[in-house]
Amino acid sequence: MLARVGYEAIDFEASAYIEGVGFQPVRLSDYKGKWIVLCFYPGDFTFV
Amino acid sequence: MAAVAAIYDELKALGVEVLAVSTDSRFVHKIWQEEELSKMVPGGVPFPMLSDPGGKIGSVYGVYDEAAGVDIRGRFIIDPDFVIRAMEVLTPEVGRNPEELLRQVKAFQHVRATGEVTPSGWQPGQTTLKPGPDLVGKVWTVWKPE
Repeated sequence: MLARVGYEAIDFEASAYIEGVGFQPVRLSDYKGKWIVLCFYPGDFTFV
Repeated sequence: MAAVAAIYDELKALGVEVLAVSTDSRFVHKIWQEEELSKMVPGGVPFPMLSDPGGKIGSVYGVYDEAAGVDIRGRFIIDPDFVIRAMEVLTPEVGRNPEELLRQVKAFQHVRATGEVTPSGWQPGQTTLKPGPDLVGKVWTVWKPE
């Protein structure tokens, strides 16, 4: 299944770094009920 | 990411949670934050930075480039019902426009609150459209491109 506009987001869990908190797993559906902006980017220490 | 961090207060005021994802490990995220991001934006990136080794998440969201082994630039707006409302995907050499992200969030929130629809380039306070039989063939009477 692929993510598409107009359809339910596909849930996942990932390990994360959170400023002021440290390392913590994050699940997308933890944020259900809120507006979410999910941003992918090519990598830390890139130029744009 | 620093550009999104720079508008974070505005996103927060709109009730938006931001999650950033790359194929880097959480350890690299921490060092990037400490060594660079915190020097671009006061306090650094205030939202969670997620790790997607192998691009499993990126693959599902259609942004994983197998040849390069990275998640390319992809931005998704998800509403409180967990429905994806918008996506924008760019190849890595061009950065995103955070102002357009804010505009889209405001437009989707307006639509959700009112049932109206927003024309091209809509900004808060501008004319919206109320879909219905009376509007068919009559959009020109209430809205024209600038």
